Amino acid sequence: MEFVQVIAFGLLLGGVYALLASGVTLIFGVLDVVNVAQGAFLVFSALFTWQIWDMLGFEPLLLIPVNGALMFILGWAIYRGMVIRVAPQGPGMTVLLMFGVALTMEGILNLVFGNKFKSVTPPYFSSSLTIGELVLPWPQLISGVVGMAVLGLMYAYLRLSWAGRALRASAQNKDGAALVGISNVKTSAFAFGIGAATAGVGGVLLAIMYPIYPATQYDWIARLLGIVVLGGFGSIPGAIIGSMILGLTESFANTYLPQWSSLFFYGTILLILLFRPQGLMGTRTREDVA
Amino acid sequence: MRTSRNRVGRRMRAGALVASLAVVTLVAAACGSNSSTESSAGSAEASAAASDGAAASTDPIRIGISLPLTGDFSQPGGEAKKGYDAWVSLINANGGLLGRQVELVILDDASSQEQVVTDYNNLISQEKVDLLLGTFSSLLNFPASTVAENNKMVLVAPAGGSPKIFEANPTYYFFAQQAIGPDQANPFVNMIAGLPDDQKPKTAAYVTQDDPFAAPVIESMQAQLEAMGVETVYSEVYPPETTNLQPFASKIAAASPDLIAQGAVFEDGVSLVKSLVQVGYNPKIMFQTSAPSNGKQFSDAIGIANTEGIFYAVSWSEKSPTPGNAEFIAEYQAQNGAGLVPAEDAADAYAAAEVLATAVEATGGLDNVALKDWLHANAVQTILGELSWDEAGRPQGDFLLAQWQNGGVEIVAPPEAATTDNLVVPKPAWQ
Repeated sequence: MEFVQVIAFGLLLGGVYALLASGVTLIFGVLDVVNVAQGAFLVFSALFTWQIWDMLGFEPLLLIPVNGALMFILGWAIYRGMVIRVAPQGPGMTVLLMFGVALTMEGILNLVFGNKFKSVTPPYFSSSLTIGELVLPWPQLISGVVGMAVLGLMYAYLRLSWAGRALRASAQNKDGAALVGISNVKTSAFAFGIGAATAGVGGVLLAIMYPIYPATQYDWIARLLGIVVLGGFGSIPGAIIGSMILGLTESFANTYLPQWSSLFFYGTILLILLFRPQGLMGTRTREDVA
Repeated sequence: MRTSRNRVGRRMRAGALVASLAVVTLVAAACGSNSSTESSAGSAEASAAASDGAAASTDPIRIGISLPLTGDFSQPGGEAKKGYDAWVSLINANGGLLGRQVELVILDDASSQEQVVTDYNNLISQEKVDLLLGTFSSLLNFPASTVAENNKMVLVAPAGGSPKIFEANPTYYFFAQQAIGPDQANPFVNMIAGLPDDQKPKTAAYVTQDDPFAAPVIESMQAQLEAMGVETVYSEVYPPETTNLQPFASKIAAASPDLIAQGAVFEDGVSLVKSLVQVGYNPKIMFQTSAPSNGKQFSDAIGIANTEGIFYAVSWSEKSPTPGNAEFIAEYQAQNGAGLVPAEDAADAYAAAEVLATAVEATGGLDNVALKDWLHANAVQTILGELSWDEAGRPQGDFLLAQWQNGGVEIVAPPEAATTDNLVVPKPAWQ
């Protein structure tokens, strides 16, 4: 029974990680930009959730579409206003730019919310669903399920809609896509917006699970980059598999060998990269020389 | 003993990692300029001479302090500044030190170990201050104490009880709290020893973050309780990245201990409580380091009803009847807003200043050699209670034992500092 419990904890955790990491990997896939500000986007959304919940006291999950839309707009604006200017300088400069964005956001959040933990505690925050001996805490259950559902919707949208196809076409070959009339700028801005929107949704989910303060962004960006490297940069299925591996190793290691839990995850990354340098589902990147 | 310094410290390293990326690219540009620092050697003698000469004057006594007013420790650093500010306005209103007014020279070290060294060197050699007071956290006080030791100046620190500081700089460094970090376990163990037999725990679970402030407390507690015959049924250490304690709560519930002791920083402490509530396991006695000392942040995070009965160790309480405590709180509120309860960090800074001031009055001068000799030999009355130090500047007292009761915090031990006779044992069920 303990074994089933451990797997359940791991998968629920993995569901949330998957949504967050897919935003990072999507932006990289389309734009070749490593969005190291994803952690800051997340914390921003989580603190916004806290503010609204604290003022109005209603169900925080209702903010999911609001925060998603808000972060989409913010991501879109950051792309059009900043990333597009710096992108021609190469990926190194965009990492620095996004790191700057992350630090600036953290600073602003510190000024607005203070350097203190904020907790969102809806009525179900410390209760759980019990099935036989299996204990599934409600916040984790809701977050895992909602995370996977939103990810599923996003994936379906990217597969089935014209905008999604354009986006994938751009990711595969920018010049080819441009030749058939797909605006590179528009698809890139759209991808950046969607990537940021996953952080908007994820922020609400984090807020009901953990206390948040501005500097928690570093913990999250470290985890997300680990997942994306493991799964392969640019691959959404890779991000999902990487997230599940992280969720499960965390859960198993914390139950059986807690002191080594970080080692297990990063050791797994190391081993996989030795044999598959492009990550589990990544493709070897090729630089076209003009 | 709040240790918000740890969680920020850890994140700071993560940030530093990414930042170093940026730095590498910038270094090339900066290579051309090579700043030259004037000789700081010999500044010890110079400042000693300066302060001797100044002792007779009626100019203000100048005390140099570096604080993390920006950066990751800005929150506790800002509180420490409020504590020093409250002290200086009270002492000046009461006629100053040695009949002279006191002036604080406060520099911002931006939470950086490099900047704090620069700051204290500047305070000594450029500003030529008469005295020093310490900065916030062991991380910053360690390098600061080396500067003070090299310049033969007393450094009384409000936060910074890491044992390694006293080993490295034993002569001029004094820690102005009741005990060094690991001794947080002692008041709790004493309380357990004093319980009637039918209330004493028979089994205990220990779980701690692998953290230099939390883990030694729990190790010390486990050893002492085992010696008293309390059987250990679960004992684990987890890495600092761990924020989800559900697997631990499940294991602990299966072991069903009477007592749970956790070496927590903050998120991990909150997560263990929430997870225990979720699995429906309620221990008879629960102790956590740091997390419960965060007041409203803690009660907001776990729900105020669930705080009832949780123990932690602390250096100061706003309800303590110690001499000067009421005046400190009144001055703090006059400066920062009515009804505002000072943070423990502010009280610790105030106490550090009290220690230095008492030594100055007792020795009748600003000779730092005489000050350190006096502090090694005498006890000082502060708002934290009476403090005294061993030959290496380690405080020799005991922390206060605090317990959440009725949505607030009460001091339950030692008796002379207690704010209530009531002890909530066993802990009521989670809500």
